[in-house]
Amino acid sequence: MKLAKKGMMLALTAFMGVSLAGCGTAASNGQASSEASASPSAPAASTAAEQPQQTEVKLSGSVVVYSAGPEGLANKIKEGFEAKTGVKVEMFQGTTGKILARMEAEKSNPAVDVLVLASLPAMQGLKEEGILMSYPEAANADKLIADWSDKDGQYFSYSASALGIVYNTKLVQTPPASWADLAKPEWNGKVNIPDPSLSGSALDFISGYLSASGDSGWSLFESYKQNGVAMAGANQEALDPVITGAKSVVAAGVDYMAYKAKAAGEPVDIVYPKEGSVISPRPAAIVGTAKNADNAKAFIDYLLSDDAQQMVTGAYLLPGRSDVEAKDRASVDEIPTFNVNWQWMNENSDSVTTKFTQLFK
Amino acid sequence: MQSSLFKNYVWLGMGLALALLGMLVLAPLLIVFGTSLYTDQKLDLLAPLQIIRQSELSEVLFNSIWLGLCVIAATTVLAFPLAWIMAKTPLRRHKWLDIVLLIPFMTPPYIGSMGWMLFMQTNGYMEQFIPASKAITPAFFSFGGMVAIMSLHLFPFLYLLLRNALLQIGGSMEEAAAVHGGGFLYRLRRIVLPLLLSSYVMGSLLIFVKTIAEFGTPATFGRKIGFYVMTSEIHKYISSWPIDFGKATSLASVLLAACLVMWYIQSTISSRYSYRLVGGKGAIKQTATMSRWGRILCSLYIGVLLLASIGIPYFSIITASLLKLRGVGLAWDNLTLQHYVELLTPGSSSLNALLNSFGLSIVASTIAVVLGTWFALTVQRSRTPGQKLVDLFSLLPNTVPGIVIVVGLILLWNAKWMPIPLYNTYGMVVLTYVILFLPYTVQYVKASYGQIDPMLLQAGQVFGGRRLYVLRRILLPLLLPGMLAGWMMTFTISNRELVASLLVLPPSMKTSATYIFAQFEQGEVSMGMAMAVISVGITTVLLLAMNVFSSQQKVE
Repeated sequence: MKLAKKGMMLALTAFMGVSLAGCGTAASNGQASSEASASPSAPAASTAAEQPQQTEVKLSGSVVVYSAGPEGLANKIKEGFEAKTGVKVEMFQGTTGKILARMEAEKSNPAVDVLVLASLPAMQGLKEEGILMSYPEAANADKLIADWSDKDGQYFSYSASALGIVYNTKLVQTPPASWADLAKPEWNGKVNIPDPSLSGSALDFISGYLSASGDSGWSLFESYKQNGVAMAGANQEALDPVITGAKSVVAAGVDYMAYKAKAAGEPVDIVYPKEGSVISPRPAAIVGTAKNADNAKAFIDYLLSDDAQQMVTGAYLLPGRSDVEAKDRASVDEIPTFNVNWQWMNENSDSVTTKFTQLFK
Repeated sequence: MQSSLFKNYVWLGMGLALALLGMLVLAPLLIVFGTSLYTDQKLDLLAPLQIIRQSELSEVLFNSIWLGLCVIAATTVLAFPLAWIMAKTPLRRHKWLDIVLLIPFMTPPYIGSMGWMLFMQTNGYMEQFIPASKAITPAFFSFGGMVAIMSLHLFPFLYLLLRNALLQIGGSMEEAAAVHGGGFLYRLRRIVLPLLLSSYVMGSLLIFVKTIAEFGTPATFGRKIGFYVMTSEIHKYISSWPIDFGKATSLASVLLAACLVMWYIQSTISSRYSYRLVGGKGAIKQTATMSRWGRILCSLYIGVLLLASIGIPYFSIITASLLKLRGVGLAWDNLTLQHYVELLTPGSSSLNALLNSFGLSIVASTIAVVLGTWFALTVQRSRTPGQKLVDLFSLLPNTVPGIVIVVGLILLWNAKWMPIPLYNTYGMVVLTYVILFLPYTVQYVKASYGQIDPMLLQAGQVFGGRRLYVLRRILLPLLLPGMLAGWMMTFTISNRELVASLLVLPPSMKTSATYIFAQFEQGEVSMGMAMAVISVGITTVLLLAMNVFSSQQKVE
């Protein structure tokens, strides 16, 4: 009773705040959005002139981007791009799965111009379906880490994250040093692993590990299952219980989320086991049906520009360009990786997901 | 038998209703179904069956149905005593309870589940308060816990239906029985329960359907305990790589079939046991006299129910929204209002999301009430095949998982040949909400209408009232409570709608629900919880205000 009352009071005060604030913003906001497209784009003209390639295109209008997180980064990139080019970005944010679902539903009449995903195999799949647009002349594409992007210029991995063992520093004094450690009795019931059907990066880890270690690789996951490792939703859902102390460890946790939580002061940290891990590139691409192709190309250029790459490092992600350094986190050469086979992973992602989720159900 | 009030318009109205329902509800579902038959570009009528055989469906289907039945049982246990207390005892003057009891229903199910999980988990809030509770908390993470969470979320729905029905059973019938020497239990058994049956069956059907079509709790709590149901399987095929609409729609057809069976049972029962209770004679509102102990007992029951359905989850939700660092846990110096300040900053995306939600919900629920009332009046007591069809179609959105309808709507409204450019606009979102929540108004208005004696309308005509006059002065006033309840329900639910919003919102646009979901995905749990507190808070205040307003109207 008392608690409910307390909640009501809080809600009431909050309501007063909103109703007052609400009046002021509704009008001014509508104005802002209509003005945004009309604003002159002096900086855009100057940068376009600097770029060595192609005839100069005066950009205007909008571009529709479907973007997988992190949200803060996506918003920054959107604002930066709008300020630079004067093109309005219509952005839909969701997980890789939600974006693909939306595309599938819109199949007969696609709305999207640019895709930013968090999973390389998914993008490879789209390439095989032949629905991506080739853009080999993208500015700075030559500086990208070659292994992560498409040789034909159909997708560009502008950033990446690595997978590691994320742990709660209040509950764990000596973090596990190897993937096999998590099968030991001391970790019984204390470990989460993200669901590969919901987390592209977790799938990258599992299929990457299997592609490097062959069929015997399954024994690791079988021993996990026997040790009470719980399959727990997408990345953040797997990490949250570790932050609050309900679990101690995430196996195959995404590192940038851990770095971000750690920087905020939460009691978490991450280790990369010595025997290796997987780095999961995050690709962007233009869709073949893009109605705003010029704007879309400019958006890809922007993702690979110095400005956007700095934003990427600010979000604790690995930059996609080899000449940009990672910030406040382990860099690519500090993370030991398996010798993974992306082609095999792409071909087998479906069966790996099925087998893994069956095992952990 | 039926009054001639609408006779001339019946066929026209029915035809229009069927056409509209066909376009709004049936067409998207047919498109989805069609998609499930096309595998690899060729028509295969057996595709759904084969997929169902392959995908270990029986266990998941059984899980869904068993869960639905258990939740019906639990909501009945929770709602019956409450409905009786609020209809028949002096405690019924506490009208505010009706609004407060909508809070669980206004809470997005995945938020409610998360509240429970934060409270009960290892090192959760309960263990931080009472370390000894470690011994029992793990027991909560079980099938029983899931039934409890879902029932505490859904019981207000059954309660409202039952209480309204109890109020309609005027005191006079019970009084008559009492005069003739019927004891309390006898009256309960021979008068109250039979008269309630129709409403109860209707309510429990909707509870069942809501449960097995629910996605939030299975996705958060169910996944944690390894309990998988149809919706989580459908969602898997529809939102993770590789997308497989064929499989998803096949599973949806099975879910639909299960619901249709229930619908058939319900309509048989309710057509056999429905009675006209609102007659011309003034109903005496009878209040049971009650001892002090009885009153205390009833208050205690309400208190415990409120604590379990609102107190515990909202303690977690509010606490989580106030924590600086979630890893530090409950401590006075770890609390902050910063998240609320950030959320309500003018011009922020969060405030825009909040305003969007309210705008969309108001428009959608208003349209839904108009359409729903029309359909409900067309259905009447669902005697002719046409009426049965309207009834079935208008109930369909409630029996199919939201996500399936939404996919159908997108396929339909974004098709190349569609001349109305609704997709990727506000209109699309409103349309989706209207379609998804139409069944609520239909059910509420149908329930009110079912209990109006046609004699009343005939009387109006006998005294020279024209059709419109009778409609305006007799029928509508009697239907108004049902319409209002439908409006409130639609407003409340569309305000927190998540699955559809995720798919049909134009890019760059957010509602409070998608904002919350995005915050969880991004690890900003505190921001998400703060948004939940604010949006449920505002909805509650709005409903309270409306309630005060409408009761004032009554006095005048």
